[in-house]
Amino acid sequence: MDVIKMENVTRFYQVGQIETPALRGVDLAIEDGEFSAVVGPSGSGKTTLLQLMGCLDKPTGGKVFIKGEDVTQLNANQRADLRKETIGFIFQFFALIPGLTAYENVEMPLLLSGAKREDRRERVQELLEAVGLSDRAHHRPDQMSGGEQQRVAIARALSTRPAVVLADEPTANLDGDTGRQVMEIMERLNKETGTTFFFATHDPRVLPFVHRTIVLRDGQVAENSKHPDQDN
Amino acid sequence: MLRLWRIAIRDLVRNKRRSGLTLIAIALGLALVIALHALEIGAMEGSIDNNIRVQSGHVQMRADSYEEDKVSLKWEDLLEDSQLLVSQAMSLPQVQGAAPVLWASGILSTVEDATGVRVYGIDPQAETSATFREDLEGDFLKPDDRGGVLISKRLANNLELAIGNKISLLINTSGEQPDETTFTIRGLYDTGLPAFDELTVFLPLAKAQTFTQVGDRASAVVVLLHEQDDADVVAAALNTPGLTVKTWRDLNQLMLQTMESSMGILYFFYLIILAIVAVVVSNTLLMSVFERTREMGILAALGLKGRQIMTMFMLESAILGALGVLIGVILGSLGTYYLATVGIHIGDMASEVSADMSYGETMYASFQWSATAILSVVCWVITMLASLYPAWFATRKEPIDALRAF
Repeated sequence: MDVIKMENVTRFYQVGQIETPALRGVDLAIEDGEFSAVVGPSGSGKTTLLQLMGCLDKPTGGKVFIKGEDVTQLNANQRADLRKETIGFIFQFFALIPGLTAYENVEMPLLLSGAKREDRRERVQELLEAVGLSDRAHHRPDQMSGGEQQRVAIARALSTRPAVVLADEPTANLDGDTGRQVMEIMERLNKETGTTFFFATHDPRVLPFVHRTIVLRDGQVAENSKHPDQDN
Repeated sequence: MLRLWRIAIRDLVRNKRRSGLTLIAIALGLALVIALHALEIGAMEGSIDNNIRVQSGHVQMRADSYEEDKVSLKWEDLLEDSQLLVSQAMSLPQVQGAAPVLWASGILSTVEDATGVRVYGIDPQAETSATFREDLEGDFLKPDDRGGVLISKRLANNLELAIGNKISLLINTSGEQPDETTFTIRGLYDTGLPAFDELTVFLPLAKAQTFTQVGDRASAVVVLLHEQDDADVVAAALNTPGLTVKTWRDLNQLMLQTMESSMGILYFFYLIILAIVAVVVSNTLLMSVFERTREMGILAALGLKGRQIMTMFMLESAILGALGVLIGVILGSLGTYYLATVGIHIGDMASEVSADMSYGETMYASFQWSATAILSVVCWVITMLASLYPAWFATRKEPIDALRAF
């Protein structure tokens, strides 16, 4: 089953008097449990694609389905609910809430979805352990390295057991080893939990991990290839 | 809602400096308003108390035709049987003291100087005269003293007079004939009310009556009560045909009205102070919204809705407002306590402020729970109103714009 499906999606940005196309008729489907990436040069529309998939933005034309539901028809509140229940985000700049500890950051989506105190604690501990940060639970973002922060972000993205995790350049601000380590963690979580991961990246370090690479050029899908050496 | 509470509290705790500054603004603003209000109420209550003490009493009985402004000495304007009225009043359990008084206007002259005065004939032994014995220098008047007068320290100072000096009093008698007599200063009184002291000289009632040729008539019978609130009951009990019975409220009407209108101006001041607090709160929250744009984007990406973001900000200011009000009430009460015990010395300004107002030389504050409660609620509501715009503004950001703002 497709977790995300896009049909002839376009997105134009109005910059002053000029309309700039970011996406021009994208057809794409992401299957449940996939671990794949969209790549392309800067300005090719990767981030826009991810934002549309994540219901952070609405397309100018075309349709986006998440778990079969047409999300282009939803209002802001409904989209917020959908994000809360179905989608986890990982951003390039880690995007942890400053001042809150690792524990509290991971707990935040659970707080928002109204999970019970006991359940929250159990889940947060489980996730921090999964990303190897049990001992850093009470550190704030400014007390952690970039890699650690990104691992907290992964834990947070997974906290509500979303159907899909969307990650925008998750390794861009990390050095070689750390980037690889972060990818390994996500790969493992993908296998263990079956959560779909979809990346937007131009980092070649990501590619060996993914099962499928979609190349975006000038707002259109230029290539869509499964990796023969991957088992998905 | 509970979740938003937790998030709001977390935000406040982690932004200690910002929360602290806002708290200080709310607390200081409210404390200032509470202390100002208490001082004003205290000054006004004090002023009325003073006036009751030295002038009006709690209840006054007068002849129907007596007009306060004219200080008439015509027989028909005076009370015929004042002693009977006094004993009537004294028979009531609420009454602390009652005595006849006689008022006349005159001119006090020394060898070098002269000034207009009000001649106040009192029963020296009456309870109602006790207040003039306080802070007395020299001797008080005796009932049968025919040549003694009491003037204030202030007047003595102005006219360079001392105990034992002679002064001459010129008055218009009941028959509209001027009469002049020389008196010896027996003592110097001090009520602490400059406006009263500068104008008033005391004679024993008997001497005042013969001097003004009114027989044994009196301008009024002044009644003091144990409890101010009993004035209406006592006034009703003393009401007889041919008499006008007035309570301290009637007698201080002008003062009460002046006070009410000056309270109006003060409320306006309070609003200005609280508006400044509102601007500070609004500004701090708006800064906080700008500062947390990216954070709002993250929270929105995590599924927080616009109205939840708004609620979160409102909750933050509700908590800040409540804490600020609490601290403000404590600070304001401490300030009021200081002003109520030590007071503010205004000295001679008291008589310059207004001759009609019996302001003492020191203003004392008077704490009122009801006013403090109302001001606190108003302050809290204003804080909430001030947070509306920033909170609304925070919801205007689309998550994607908010994330891009980084």
